[in-house]
Amino acid sequence: MSLFLIAALPFLGALLPGLLIRAGRDACAIVTGSVTLLALIGLGVNAPAVLRGEIVTARIDWIPGLGLNANFFLDGLGLLFAGMILGIGLLVIIYARYYLSRNDAMGRFYTFLLLFQGAMVGIVLSDNVLMLLVFWELTSLSSFLLIGYWNHLPEGRQGARMALAVTGAGGLALIGGMLMLGNIVGSYDLSVILESKDVIQSSPLYLPALILILLGCFTKSAQFPFHFWLPHAMAAPTPVSAYLHSATMVKAGLFLMARMWPVLSGTEAWFYIVATTGLITMVVGAVIALFKDDLKGLLAFSTVSHLGLITMLLGFGTPIAAVAAVFHIINHATFKAALFMTAGIIDHGAHTRDIKRLGGLRTLMPVTFVIATVASLSMAGIPPLNGFLSKEMMLEEAAHTVWAGSHWLLPVLACLGALFSAAYSFRYISHVFLGPKREDYPATPHDPGIGMWIAPGLLVVLAILIGLFPKTIVGTLVAIASGSVIGGDLPYYSLKLWHGVNPALIMSGIAVAGGLVLLWLHGSLDKLWNALPRPEAKRIFDIVISGLTTLARFFTERTHNGSFARYAAIFFVFVFGLGYYAYQSGTMVAADRTMLDASPVAIAGWVCLIVSTLCVVTFHRNRLLALVLIGVTGLIVSMSFNYLSAPDLALTQISVEAVTIILLLLALNLMPKETPVELRSGRKLRDAVLSIGGGLGVGALIYAMMMRDLVQPSISEFHIANSYSGGGGTNVVNVILVDFRGFDTFGEIIVLGIAAIVIYALTESILSTGIRGQLLNRKPDFPIAGDAHPMMMVVATRVMMPIALMVAAYIFFRGHNLPGGGFIAGLIAAIALIMQYMASGFSWASARQRFPYHGIIGAGVLVAALTGMGAWLNEMPFLTSAFSYVYLPGLHKFELATAALFDLGVFLAVFGAVLLALESLSRYAWQPDDATEHAMDINPARDTAVVEEGK
Amino acid sequence: MSILFDIAITAFLIISGVFGLVGSYGLIKLPDPMSRLHAPTKATTLGVGGVLIASMLHAIAVEGQVSLHELLITLFLLITAPITANFIAKAHLHRHVERDQLPDAAPDDCWAVHDIEPFQAGAEPSTETTK
Repeated sequence: MSLFLIAALPFLGALLPGLLIRAGRDACAIVTGSVTLLALIGLGVNAPAVLRGEIVTARIDWIPGLGLNANFFLDGLGLLFAGMILGIGLLVIIYARYYLSRNDAMGRFYTFLLLFQGAMVGIVLSDNVLMLLVFWELTSLSSFLLIGYWNHLPEGRQGARMALAVTGAGGLALIGGMLMLGNIVGSYDLSVILESKDVIQSSPLYLPALILILLGCFTKSAQFPFHFWLPHAMAAPTPVSAYLHSATMVKAGLFLMARMWPVLSGTEAWFYIVATTGLITMVVGAVIALFKDDLKGLLAFSTVSHLGLITMLLGFGTPIAAVAAVFHIINHATFKAALFMTAGIIDHGAHTRDIKRLGGLRTLMPVTFVIATVASLSMAGIPPLNGFLSKEMMLEEAAHTVWAGSHWLLPVLACLGALFSAAYSFRYISHVFLGPKREDYPATPHDPGIGMWIAPGLLVVLAILIGLFPKTIVGTLVAIASGSVIGGDLPYYSLKLWHGVNPALIMSGIAVAGGLVLLWLHGSLDKLWNALPRPEAKRIFDIVISGLTTLARFFTERTHNGSFARYAAIFFVFVFGLGYYAYQSGTMVAADRTMLDASPVAIAGWVCLIVSTLCVVTFHRNRLLALVLIGVTGLIVSMSFNYLSAPDLALTQISVEAVTIILLLLALNLMPKETPVELRSGRKLRDAVLSIGGGLGVGALIYAMMMRDLVQPSISEFHIANSYSGGGGTNVVNVILVDFRGFDTFGEIIVLGIAAIVIYALTESILSTGIRGQLLNRKPDFPIAGDAHPMMMVVATRVMMPIALMVAAYIFFRGHNLPGGGFIAGLIAAIALIMQYMASGFSWASARQRFPYHGIIGAGVLVAALTGMGAWLNEMPFLTSAFSYVYLPGLHKFELATAALFDLGVFLAVFGAVLLALESLSRYAWQPDDATEHAMDINPARDTAVVEEGK
Repeated sequence: MSILFDIAITAFLIISGVFGLVGSYGLIKLPDPMSRLHAPTKATTLGVGGVLIASMLHAIAVEGQVSLHELLITLFLLITAPITANFIAKAHLHRHVERDQLPDAAPDDCWAVHDIEPFQAGAEPSTETTK
């Protein structure tokens, strides 16, 4: 199966659970499991090749210009992780089916789970660091959704936010680091990067890149001091904890360190940063875990500790330590996922996870007892279980690693970590299952059905088998996975239980014995621990976050306080700055054009423009008058477009002008008719300086531009030369819109449609609040006039409508060769309809409107898209236009161009967007007594009819 | 023949100019909005109409083709001008003229503009309105 399909399957499958939940919870779980199983089978098909030592690849150049290629590759490390993600994922899906209660939305849960699974598979299969980053962020997002799955619980929401903040921040650092790395190597392909060890390590950017990448890894893998989010993420449902926080997501950081191991490791910086962080995390996590009373809290800190262990092994930088790390990744995933699931089972059966309230469960929950005991012993490192093997390897490595000249520091601390690890593992067994039976369980503990214990059961069987026959079960997998981590020959190692009496065995013995002693002393130590002051990570985190929020709010309130004048002022100052910088740093050629003579018409227009603008300034407090004056300005602008031989612009301007004025009038209907008086002279002065400066600046810029030839030849020449031959139209403006820059136009109509739909959505949401009542009860500031829909207007607009539509059609059809086109035609058609709204009222007109405007917008975008895609049938790129000339008897020769079809899309989108926006705005003024079946208020014919009926 | 066309075109242009001037002058000179409404109607109908006829004649005489665009312009002018005037008058009556200052609007009890005032505080329900 192609790697693309393996990575895509979970994403595609994520659509299914939400749909199939309607067919029942079993169907939902089965389909989710099938998707994962299918991906797992696909992985299995590729496994033999990888086990032979080949690397399976799948490549597509996506955006080669950015170095972003959709490249996937599957090597030993990828196979190990993908197998873990999909395999444990399958078990978790089975477990979750029985874990989730009827009140939980199972479809949503499985959808999130599959999204997460897809993101994880994407990370481990990516051969492009940019792709990897995308998937990395996706895991942060999907885990946010999963941790906060029980969003009615505050812990769930807070834990999810904390996890997102920490891993998201790490993700940002990682992006920086990865971009640096790509910059050093000159390629974003992992396979290239992995072969450039010398280039990377000799680069001055090595250290910053290393630190940034490690920040990403450490936050994701909950390494000290970022470990605090993991325990809080335990608010998630237990399947999520078992999946994300033992087997997969927290291992993403480890994966990345392992993936980058060949190029990043081996330096002093790597050793001291990674190994030290791992060591501290291991010891700190283990110590805290011993004193946690929450079962999942204990497991969370133990996970932190084990992740630290693996990090430390990777940090050693020796091949044999890397092998141990890979082996422990497998072992940890098996026993820790099983342990999390047993914690969920206990929670399910006894309705509490508090160790202090448990104990004596061994006879009440025998199956769970067996599973949990085996898994815990494996975690403690007791032979013959798999945890013992990798812990031995770790201790062996620690025993002869020198840290800053000290021979004993690392072994002692590693042994201490192992000791606490053994202690909390024993505590999990003895304080939960051993001891006397109690009378005060919140619920009667009982073993669950097979559906819930089958998954952890399988995992502990695996843990035992790996422990007994390590070489047979995982020997090859460890070998090839370590091979891809090390990137060279494997060192000599042997996976077996008995290595003879060596330092590691002695340390192991000390750890187990010490662990038993600690367990015996636990009661008094616990009192001591609770008496000691400890930094509370959540509190510190909350203080930091609230500090950041305050800072952000401070900044936002100063810049984004809702005053448009302030935004404009900021914008103007910024543009001034930019303009001044450009003027200072650029060069300007001497003016080489001569001024044209000003014709009387131009002067008259200019005077009108100046006068109307001055009038706007003078009368701006009267909003209605200001609007009329702005309308005058707009009309003169459109006339000057016409005068300067830009008829397309003139047509557009004049129709936009009409629509805008109506839109503003609608808004004015609900606003005070006068703006408040500005009292502060400082602000007046600021505004005056900025606006006069802005106007003069733009004027000077335009003057400077028009007095010179352009430095580079303009693209206009190309457009004019190729308009007819390439685009089949003589109207260059239209050919640019629908052909040369068709893709831009396509984007623009989508944006326009979205804008209109946003206006609609805002209206909907505003009108569903208390504001609706205020609007309905508002007292208009002027008395409303009678005869709002006068007969003359109604009749005239009815007469005009076909004419206006005909004009729109005419403008549309001639658009390709003469001024016009879909955009203008759309506006004109919109005006034809708006006239009806104005004449007969909103209620009357919209009752006669059969097609929803959303649909018209959508149809427009679809028509444009389908036209663009039609080019594919001709084996041409998207939006390539075709045209030909047709002769029909009785008609002139005429042209058929696909561009016209595209223009139809533009027409529909513009038409729908304008009317949807206007309709939305009209709804604010709606009153219940507006509704009428009559087109006009006073109709003599109607009156006579009533009178005659009365007679 | 061409001299006749020239004279006709000139005459229409002069007529339109005169009416344009008269209309503009009236706009300034006339005392109140209702009277003032009359002045620009002269400018739009006769003033612009004269120019349009002159333009059509010019097309026939000089360019040798029949131009009908002007008829369309005339149509639009004739449709829109009365509606504009109607709205200005209605706005004036509504904003500046009290109800009791208006003459009787027989057979209805009041003018259309003042007919329905659902939002006006203290407005008495007009029971006799025939609707």
